[in-house]
This record gives sequence, C-alpha cells and structure tokens, in this order.
Amino acid sequence: MEYLVQQLVNALAFGSEYALVALGLAVVFSIMGLVNFAHGEVIGASAYTVFLAAGLGSPAAAVVLAVLAAMVVSVALERVAFRPVRNAPTTTGLLTAFGVSIFLQNLFQLLISPRPQAFSLFNGMSTTWHLGPYAVSSLQVMEFVIAAVAMAALVLFLNRSTLGIAMRAASRDFSTVRLMGIRANRVIAAAFAISGALAGIACVFILARRGGVTPDMGFSLVLKAFVACVIGGFGSLVGAAAGGILLGFIEVGLLAALPQEMGGLKEALTYVIVTLILLYKPEGLFGARRELGDKEF
Amino acid sequence: MVDAVSSMSGRAAPRRPWWLTGFGGGLVTALPVLLIGLAVMMLAPNYHQNLAATAAINLIIVVGLQVFMGNSGVAHLGHSAFVGLGAYGMAILATPVMMKRLSIPNAPLGLAQVQLHPLLAVAVSLAIVAIVAMASGRVIARLSGIAATIVSLAFLIVVHSMFLHWPALFKGNQGFFGIPQVVGLPGVLACTVAVIVVARLFRESPNGLQLRATAQNAQAADALAIDARALRRQAWLLSALICALAGVLYALLAGTISPRIFYFQQVFMTLAMLILGGMGTVTGAVAGTLILSIGLEMIRSLESGVTVAGIELPAMLGLSGVALGAVIVLCMSLRPQGICGPYELDEMLTRALRRFRGGR
Repeated sequence: MEYLVQQLVNALAFGSEYALVALGLAVVFSIMGLVNFAHGEVIGASAYTVFLAAGLGSPAAAVVLAVLAAMVVSVALERVAFRPVRNAPTTTGLLTAFGVSIFLQNLFQLLISPRPQAFSLFNGMSTTWHLGPYAVSSLQVMEFVIAAVAMAALVLFLNRSTLGIAMRAASRDFSTVRLMGIRANRVIAAAFAISGALAGIACVFILARRGGVTPDMGFSLVLKAFVACVIGGFGSLVGAAAGGILLGFIEVGLLAALPQEMGGLKEALTYVIVTLILLYKPEGLFGARRELGDKEF
Repeated sequence: MVDAVSSMSGRAAPRRPWWLTGFGGGLVTALPVLLIGLAVMMLAPNYHQNLAATAAINLIIVVGLQVFMGNSGVAHLGHSAFVGLGAYGMAILATPVMMKRLSIPNAPLGLAQVQLHPLLAVAVSLAIVAIVAMASGRVIARLSGIAATIVSLAFLIVVHSMFLHWPALFKGNQGFFGIPQVVGLPGVLACTVAVIVVARLFRESPNGLQLRATAQNAQAADALAIDARALRRQAWLLSALICALAGVLYALLAGTISPRIFYFQQVFMTLAMLILGGMGTVTGAVAGTLILSIGLEMIRSLESGVTVAGIELPAMLGLSGVALGAVIVLCMSLRPQGICGPYELDEMLTRALRRFRGGR
C-alpha cells in the first residue's frame, strides 16, 4: 500500500511536469499552428538565468526570476524568429523552431559550458512529508498542487478575460478575431507569455529535482511533452494536460513493472506504447475532427 | 513547396517519357558531385579523401531525406535511425568471427558465429531495414503532418535506445569495431551518383508527381483519387533504403561505429543541409550538402581553437551547432524554398538556354 501510494504520487508529479510543458506547447499551437520545438530552450534559458543569478541567495526571488526570464525569452523568440514565418505552412514553422532550438542549445554550450553545472539553491524544497501513515516527497506534492493551480488560473484567464476569450476564439478562426478589432500581435504575444510562464514554473521544479543545469535539459523534456500533446490531440488544451498526466502514469508504471536491468528500455517502451495509442486513434484522445475555420491541418 | 504544375510546363515542349527525364536529369545533377569527387581522388592527400568520402555519405543521407520530406512535404526527423540500422546490420553480419568473440560473444540467434561476405551482408542488412521501414511506414503514413513528424522522432529515440540498451547484440554505448574496411572514395562516389539518379527517377515518376501534388493540396489530390497514404509509404521505404545504404557505406569506410553517431547531431546536420539547398529538389540536396560540408569543415577548425595572426583563439565548442541552427532559421524566414529554388539543375540549364536563344 505504502509502495502504491508512493508510485501514485510519483506518477502524478511526473505527469504534472509533462502537463505543464505540454500546455505551453498547446497554447501556442492552438493559436498560430506553430510546433514550438524551442520551448525546451525557453526552459533552458530560464535555468541558466537563475544559475547565473545564484548569488541572489533567496529561493523566492529565484523562482520569480525563473518565471519572468522564461516569459521574456519566449516573447522575444516570437518577435525575432517566429514572426517572419507566422503565415507560412506548418512545416516551415516547425523547422524554424527546430533551428532555434539547435541554435540556443549550442549557444548555451558555447557561452557557459557543455558540462552540467551544479545548482543547489532549490535543494531545500525537497524534504519528506508524513501525510498520515505515508511518507511522500514534498517536492512531488508541490509539483502536483502548483501545476493544478497554474492550470486553474489558465482556465480562469481563458474563460473570463477579454484577451483570454480572444485567444480561445483565435484557436478556432483567427481571421474573424482580427475582424472583431483584436490585435493579432497582442493575442500571439499573450500566448507566448503564458507558454513562457508555464515553462518557468516547470523549470523551477526541474532545477529542484536535478540540482543542475545542462544545455539540453529542456530538449528531452519537450520531446516527451510533444508526445503528450500528440496523445491528447494536438492543439487541445485539455488533451495536452490529460496526455501529460497519462504519460507520467505510463512511465512510472513501466519503471515499476520492468526488471532492474531493463530499466534503460523505459524510454523506448514509452514511445512504443504511445505509437500504439496513435494507431488506434490517429487524431489523439481528445482531438475530435472539427471544422477549424482558417487553420490548415 | 515545389510547384508541381509549373515545373511540368517549364519542361521542353515535346513530352519525353518520365524515366528519360529522370535518368538524364539525375546524371546532370550528379555531374558536379562526380567532378569534385574525381578531382579529390586524383589530387588530394589521403586525409582529404576520407573527408570527401564522409561528405559523400552525408550527401546520400540528405538525398534519402529529400526523397521522403521533399516529395511528401512531411517533416521527417528520424532518418538517422535507418542510417544506424544499416550500419549496425553490417557490423553484426560482416565483422570477422574473431572480433565478435571479443565484442558480442553472447549475441542472440548465434550471430556471434556468423560472418557473411560483405556484399551478402549488404543485401541482408538492406532487406532487414526494408522490413522495418515497411512496418514503420504503415504507422507514419496513417498520421497527419505533425503527428507523423513526432512519431518519426519517437522512432529515432526507440532505435537509439535499442542500440544503447541491448548490449548483447549492439555492444551498447561503446564503439563496435573491427568491421572490414573494404570501401573507399571510389565506391562511395559510385553509390552517391546512383542514389542521386534513383531519387530523380522517383521524383519524376508518376508516383513521385502525385505525391508532390498531395503535399501541395491534399484535398485536390484526394479529389483526383490519389492514394496519399500508399504513396507516402513508398517514399518512406525508398528513403529508408537510401539512408540505410549510407549507413552501410559508413560502416565499411570507417570500420568503427557507435550509437551516438546516428542520433540528433546527424539529424540536425543533414536537415540543415537539405533546408539550405531546398528540400523540393534533388539539386537542392546536392547544393546544400556541398556548401555546408565545406562550411562546417572550416568552422570545426575554429571550434578546436586556432591561432590567427598570432592571436590564440579559445576553443569554441558548440559553434558548428550554432551555425547549423542559424542556417535553418535564416533559410526558413528569408528563403523557405532554399537557395536552389523550385527547379532541378537540368531544368535551370534548359531554361537558361531557352532564354539565351530567345534573347538573340
């Protein structure tokens, strides 16, 4: 029972991390059809910013800095790299984002170091809590709770504020939204800012768990988040969140089920399972075919 | 994307059979590669011959990538998996038994006791890759654009982690050594020319034309009763075989392989080459590879730290990656069709010739 609860918390924590990153991808994709491979490097940039500012000393300030840095980098990337390809076919945007990702990853390597850098400011976040009879990691509980709060805030924003409603409308039919007198640039910048904020939150948890920064830390995570998006149905926000949680459960389940010496195959089996899901439902679990206005795909 | 219709009308007036256009055009496209290769073979020292052979193998990979990506319009990021499968197929089948007793003594199916003649090993490796490609192609062809791209990436990761975590067969993280080095620059060059011609033949064939039409307008192609999935499967298979051939040649040239050669680094590099040249045409693949191969070689010498005019520059690891990323981003925003544009080399030449005649 103890073991089961621990694995459950484990799966929820991993799942929320994937869900946070996947949501960041889905917000941008649903509005401008961009498959943002560079999202991982937004996480990386945020991590390196906090790493360079480690002298700050206060973890709270570092958390704020991480989120702010991720938002700024995300919006800046849109302005510099993604605006020129905004109306181009999906493949062009995808390849541009892939290029940005390679560029930034190697820039981190060039400017800072190809080797992992230790970062210990967030280590205090990880202690053991005793909830009734069960011992759980505080970090994992926080991860799940904060991800849930962030998602609730996102839902509130998308349903209540004018900009949020405009963003939801833009995911259906951008031309009509613009005809209503809403500025396209503002909607898209907002999408990137939200996506960056989610990346920043994810970045804090990654730093707390790993205690280090590497140039490719975001890339492998974003690949997983993509898979989460694809399982959930690309462009669907609910799908991204659900896909992320599901991915967490698949991974933790495999880790628990596989014998020790086959642990390395976890990654491969995860992707195989995901591909099987896609064979059964090529549109993803939540991606019902619907009329999509001016969106091409 | 290439405008399939306009490239039809841009051709010489009396209609030639497609295979003649493809074959002739392929030879014209391959001519610059052949000339450079022959020049290197006769003039350059050994070290440069090796560099040229590696570049030619990269060219085969890029052409293989073009066959799927350029014709179907679906971004494909997993082609290095096939390169790796081809190379490991050779390593497992053609390495002398003596060597394998050291490296993979416990290989399943008694493969440690098997040693095939290199040519037979090539055939078996390609056959295995064909089976893998037919299976994965069924999955890929079913999915729409983005999902297909993500699954192609997933495929790369699955194959890579199989290389890493099945040491009994693939020797894991360490290099697999002792593969007979029976191929040199001449052999690689001959294969490169053949591959370029095959890619052009596919592009000009009715199937290739129909596939390009599905990339341009899926609904219109559907309305013409074009079976996009079947065509994508064909292109995927051909692309996989070409990439696997590159892997086979790499193994036979280098003699030593390791899993990380066939991973993201190679994907980035070959993708940047194709995008720079232009993915719509085989000419683009050739031009992009030529330019970037030379460019990257210069950057690599900078990367390890050199002394320029008495000033010692520090080692700059990651510079080539930064350059590759910049090439992709700049190309996509400034000239998404690549530097060569929508026409093949022979088409450019005929057009130039016609303009020249018309001008007089």
